[in-house]
Amino acid sequence: MNHLFFVFGASLLVVALTGAAAQQYLRSRRSSDATWEDLLGRLEPIDREKIATVALDVIAENGERRQSDDAYSLEPEAIWQLLGGLEGLEAMERNCRVLVELAAYVQRWHPEAVVVAEQLRLNAREIEWHVSRLTGAAQTGNLQATFADYAQRAVAIYYMMTRHVLDLYEQVSFPELTQLRQAI
Amino acid sequence: MYLSGFQLFFWATAFAAHLLLLAVIWRRGRAASFPVFTGLIAFYIARSVALFLIWRFVHQNTQSNYYYTALALAIVDEAIQLFVFYELATHVFCPTGVWAKDVKRAFVWIVAGSVLLATILTWLAAPEVKLSVQSLMLRSNFFSSALMSELFVGIMWLSATAGLPWKTHVARIAQGFGIYSIVSLILETINNYFGLQNSADVYNAANHVRSLVYLGCVGYWIVTLWQEAPAPRELPDAMLMQIYTLQRRVEYDLVRIRNWRRS
Repeated sequence: MNHLFFVFGASLLVVALTGAAAQQYLRSRRSSDATWEDLLGRLEPIDREKIATVALDVIAENGERRQSDDAYSLEPEAIWQLLGGLEGLEAMERNCRVLVELAAYVQRWHPEAVVVAEQLRLNAREIEWHVSRLTGAAQTGNLQATFADYAQRAVAIYYMMTRHVLDLYEQVSFPELTQLRQAI
Repeated sequence: MYLSGFQLFFWATAFAAHLLLLAVIWRRGRAASFPVFTGLIAFYIARSVALFLIWRFVHQNTQSNYYYTALALAIVDEAIQLFVFYELATHVFCPTGVWAKDVKRAFVWIVAGSVLLATILTWLAAPEVKLSVQSLMLRSNFFSSALMSELFVGIMWLSATAGLPWKTHVARIAQGFGIYSIVSLILETINNYFGLQNSADVYNAANHVRSLVYLGCVGYWIVTLWQEAPAPRELPDAMLMQIYTLQRRVEYDLVRIRNWRRS
């Protein structure tokens, strides 16, 4: 009986590992071989004006938290509309991955940029966490109570990430800066 | 003691391939980045020499001397491979010199889960054998290949999930180990299924396939470690300072936004 379990378990393990290894290999290859055009092509269209409206409701241009009376004036419904609901947030989450790869792209020629790329990666993970909380809340029917807080936080981080990626490209005088400005 | 023509061919080819790989590592200055991997290749060369000398010149109880030495060296080999795994993991998960905060716990879980799963499957294995030492050998080979393949696929998955990129040479070394471990796992599953009770034909055929795959991996390492990664461009000190300032700003922004309370 043990013999049968062994064959079944080991075969399952081989199939799972082979499938996972092939998938991760293709995924990492797509990322490491990505050209500049590939990366820009993977950015999903997001209305940057709307992102800025949601983000600048709570932070100033320099990233400082806004203390004035008109801060936090957007109602949750308005935030939902501006972002295009959960789908809009998920598109933003996918774009975060591309922003991290854009930082890694600079790192190919300037290894010193690793410190910024790593910090941007941690920011992207934070956004993923916020979006996963919202997805979880949507499944349990608690989305309304948590949406504004998590969504606006995620958007503020995303907004600052786009600014920082542009700063990085500017600081290393990367020739593709103009194209990047138009894309994000 | 009798060694087949294929065994002698593999012995000589692997010895020459390891020498060539070590020369490539040395010539291209990779030893500083991968000291444990370099040590493993040096160990393989020393092992080939030691086993050859025992086979060729130690006449008394030659067979038992050869097998016990090979067994002891296989344990050392497994231990060094685990250190190579850790060395590659630190290259991926310590991009700035310290472990990335978000992967530490997942990494520990991957290691613990891999050991547990490999142990359970090894415990379930019951190969039919003539001698108990053969069962020990088949099951320990299975455990080793299951553990290594789980660990390598595990860190590939974790790095992709966390969005951590692989440097060129780290990725190539890990790919070689990953492919070899998965092929070994398939072959060891077959070996444990058929056992050694009736015939050693399946076991010998599986060993031949494994040896050829291993030679392919060493060839892959020789070629890829010889190739240079994209050359970095020099940055002036002022730009470097700006990059560090930017990194602090990105970090500061995240902490600030994290600490908000929406009124």
